[in-house]
Amino acid sequence: MDKKFSEMNYYEMLDVPLEATAAQIRAAYNNALQMYQADSLVSYSFFSQEERREILSLLDRAYATLINEHEREKYNAELARSGTLDVSGKSAQVKKEPVNLFDLSRQRDFFAARKTGNADLRKKIEQSQRIQEIISRSVLTGADLKDIRTELGVAVEKINQETKIRMDYLRFIEEDKIERLPAPVFLKGFVKAYLKSLCLEPADELAARYMNSLPGKN
Amino acid sequence: MTHIWPIGGGKGGSGKSFLASSLGHLLAKSGKRTLLIDLDLGAANLHTLVGVPYPEKCFSDFIAKKNLTLEDVKLATPCPNLFLISGANDTLDIANLPYEKKLKTLKAINKLDYDYILLDLGAGTSFNTLDFFLASRNGIFITTPEPTSIENVYRLMRAIYFRKIKHYFSAVHFRDLEQKVKQHFDEISFSKPERIITVIKKDFPEKYEQIKKDLDAFCFRLIINQMHKQDNIALGPQICKIVKTHMGMPVEFAGYIAYDEHVHDAVCQRVSFLERYPHTRAANDLRELGKKMSSSSGEQLSLNYL
Repeated sequence: MDKKFSEMNYYEMLDVPLEATAAQIRAAYNNALQMYQADSLVSYSFFSQEERREILSLLDRAYATLINEHEREKYNAELARSGTLDVSGKSAQVKKEPVNLFDLSRQRDFFAARKTGNADLRKKIEQSQRIQEIISRSVLTGADLKDIRTELGVAVEKINQETKIRMDYLRFIEEDKIERLPAPVFLKGFVKAYLKSLCLEPADELAARYMNSLPGKN
Repeated sequence: MTHIWPIGGGKGGSGKSFLASSLGHLLAKSGKRTLLIDLDLGAANLHTLVGVPYPEKCFSDFIAKKNLTLEDVKLATPCPNLFLISGANDTLDIANLPYEKKLKTLKAINKLDYDYILLDLGAGTSFNTLDFFLASRNGIFITTPEPTSIENVYRLMRAIYFRKIKHYFSAVHFRDLEQKVKQHFDEISFSKPERIITVIKKDFPEKYEQIKKDLDAFCFRLIINQMHKQDNIALGPQICKIVKTHMGMPVEFAGYIAYDEHVHDAVCQRVSFLERYPHTRAANDLRELGKKMSSSSGEQLSLNYL
């Protein structure tokens, strides 16, 4: 045993990393309660009553401190001062952490970013000769779509996120794997959504051209 | 290299013999020469589980006669590659094995040449059980998800820890330590090795380092048997975590075995459970466990008190 429980810092008590989010801390606290509560099967007979009371009060304090941003900062500063932890470098990383996909504040940014992104895309499409040349052709294949996409510098994952079309279908379309493609009625919709997410106009017509270029058609 | 897996659990009826016979069966099936030793002295019944109802040789013969080796008292079982040293006809005073006989047994076990040796230990925390459990780094704890059983498995873990600490102290020094612990804490503290170790850390730092190093080299494993559907699925990892944080004992969670009425049926029919009901949940869990454990067994320990 390297350290007594009462000598651990709050992060160690709850077994969370220094940069843990509020959700992680809450989950860790719930887990700890599951383990240390009086009716818990896990710690049954492991602790005396006083020991258990002490541990639970420590856990409560740890949770109350870490879940409150203000208190947590103060506690971190205290840890840094006593030299037990180097907090300075790590707290800066907190902002770089990926944000939850369903976070509301992020969603707003996401739509705003999409609007400005769309304007950028349109500009790029107008300026790129290669894209204009592909669009003006009478035949449009999956490989052409891929060319346009790479020319615009858009990742296939981004299209997958925006259109919710499965990744494998997107790949089959781009690689012209005719035998693996979905039924035409779906395919047409997929291609249209694909074109729209790249801001290619007119999506309807281009999609029809793609459908006509499929080998099965002739 | 011989792997020795002692199986202990504190409480009776938690499935030690069942686990020993099943793991033995699985290992033998996968082509490993496996020996089961029934060290549940005084309450042996492993022979019934592996289909040897009338063993003609037993562990007592080895203890009583000077010129016999463990090899001489081993029995073949219906399962090829699986051998048994039975305790069926042991003398009735076998439960209190004297110290020198125990050492003789431990030494003899160490000399055996098998791929795997499984020791089926008795319930409780008698010295015999503890020392046989410490015969290897790869001790397996088994418990059921019930307070009674968990209570006993914690007690067994503490007793083993305590025994380990005791190996490092002579009788005089140990009494000295006992005094100190009682000063620091209260009377009951002596039942908690984690408190003793804090005193050792302060007053005998070099001994603390030794014990810590020794203990860290162990690879204990925990199996939870008779898991019902409604039981908390996080139980196993949580037990290991609590033991690690508060006792400093490294225990790895190996897995669950589902509660299965078929086990009872198979035992009553006195046939091997895995052969009679190979496609039940408990059988699947056992196979999974066997696979996992045979791939992750560490090196063997040479007994440091022999």
